[in-house]
Amino acid sequence: MAAAFPLGWRHVEPLETLSAAGRDFPRGRISEIVGTRSSGRTSVLHALIAASTGRGEHAALVDSKDAFDACSAESVGVELSRLVWVRCGGNAEHALHAADLLIQAGGFGVVALDLAEATPAALNRIPPTAWFRFRRAVESTPTILTVLADHPLAKSCSCMTIKMPPRRAVFTGQAPFLLLRDAG
Amino acid sequence: MFACIHGPDANRLADSFSPFVEMVDEKTAVFTVTARQFGAVKHVQAQVALAATAEAAILAARNLPGYTFIPPGEEARVLGTLSIDALPPDPELFETFHLWGIRSLNDLSRLPDDALASRLGARGLWLQRLARGAFERPLRPRLPATVYEESAELEHPIQLREPLLFQIARFLQDLTARLKSQSLAAASLHLTLNGNQRTHSVPFPTRDVKLLLKLVEHSLERQPPDGPIAKLRLELIPTEPRRVQHGLFTPAAPEPEKLELTLGKIRGLVGEKNVGYPELFDTHRPGLARPAPGRSYLTFRYFRPPLEARVTAERLWTRMFQGKILQIAGPWRSSGDWWRPDNWNRDEYDLALSDGALYRIYMDRVPKKWFVEGVYD
Repeated sequence: MAAAFPLGWRHVEPLETLSAAGRDFPRGRISEIVGTRSSGRTSVLHALIAASTGRGEHAALVDSKDAFDACSAESVGVELSRLVWVRCGGNAEHALHAADLLIQAGGFGVVALDLAEATPAALNRIPPTAWFRFRRAVESTPTILTVLADHPLAKSCSCMTIKMPPRRAVFTGQAPFLLLRDAG
Repeated sequence: MFACIHGPDANRLADSFSPFVEMVDEKTAVFTVTARQFGAVKHVQAQVALAATAEAAILAARNLPGYTFIPPGEEARVLGTLSIDALPPDPELFETFHLWGIRSLNDLSRLPDDALASRLGARGLWLQRLARGAFERPLRPRLPATVYEESAELEHPIQLREPLLFQIARFLQDLTARLKSQSLAAASLHLTLNGNQRTHSVPFPTRDVKLLLKLVEHSLERQPPDGPIAKLRLELIPTEPRRVQHGLFTPAAPEPEKLELTLGKIRGLVGEKNVGYPELFDTHRPGLARPAPGRSYLTFRYFRPPLEARVTAERLWTRMFQGKILQIAGPWRSSGDWWRPDNWNRDEYDLALSDGALYRIYMDRVPKKWFVEGVYD
């Protein structure tokens, strides 16, 4: 099922959406957030983690490309003290293995697997059975397993796919004194 | 009888009489003596007192010069001449004593017990019993700190991991049993193999042998010993055990034991420094600074390390992407930590590229090079 998700780049708009983000993602299932660069996909992921940690849950972020920005995440409301961050240095296989271990450990509200910007060669090495294994591992738990990627990866194993459309940048001011404001 | 020595060398002098010595402070030592030792105590070169109670001996040794022997039942008489200030300080009660005209211990000890208790409470009554030399308490001798360690020197060095873990498991079982008998738990674990010590800190106090053994196993997997093990030493650092009150409505959290083991496995996979909880600092350094309160931040993704770029007025090239610059905002100049080798000095720009993405680029002003730091997302 593809669902539109009304969330932009900025953290200031989605305070209501933050709680909605935590509510709408199904527990015990795999969800995917896909989109191109600057589409707002990471904003959705941060909103989901913020909603989870805000409820007192623990979350885990498996960051395949070391892309996580703690500053913008904290400004959205992510409680960093409840977020386990695993940096995989570009190794997608390590990322999958780490996510598997975290799901097996249990007790997390959200386990986020960030595979955005991963190279096609790295993604091709992921066996399709990995997603079936994830689906089986997570289905008996209250954990939301979220995959962030450039395009859908989990296919039929995913319960929900959020496709983020490309957005247009909003600059204000007169050239050359422009200021980046938002996404239009 | 109790003996008290008050002087700069009290600790050493007291040790020559008894192995069980209570150090009241740095200069005052109390211990028990037998009648045979009275003569030896008398010749100690310090202020010494012998009394039937420890507190009477302490008061006399601290406040009376030379050697003082207080016969049993004579404590109030001998101590009575001392000033009220000889008692443990209590500003509030001492002010009351001053108002009542009580100047010496004799004055205090002659007050009726019931009337004193009703006016000054238990603390006042305790001070009066001290003044009379009638307060009895057991000796609290200092005890040497217990070291929870096991060691072995092996005739045939261990070459394989399995037999090494078997030996460590035996040590752990003995040590945790000793900790359990003392109602303690392990806060950390020091393992010394052939003289090389490695420390494993446990995130919570535990006596779980399986957990401690797994931590050691993961450590040995990540960092194998240099050669066959001939000397082995294991020490557990004791601490108070963990006491947790669970709540019905507390959100589920990973079990600490399981989480630590999981993180240990992941550390073995991705490296020691790549697993943990993110932390921001009180700095302006890009990527580490805490967000300013009330400011809005666009969600950002880093390219780590930053992508080297070639930039002209119209286009940008990197090894991953290129495109035409549609809009650009900046520069914002920032610099800091000039006294450190990893200082920064750069001009930042936000730019919209023709691929539809919004990047943050900067020019490092020292090597005059352009980098793409990340993408707004």
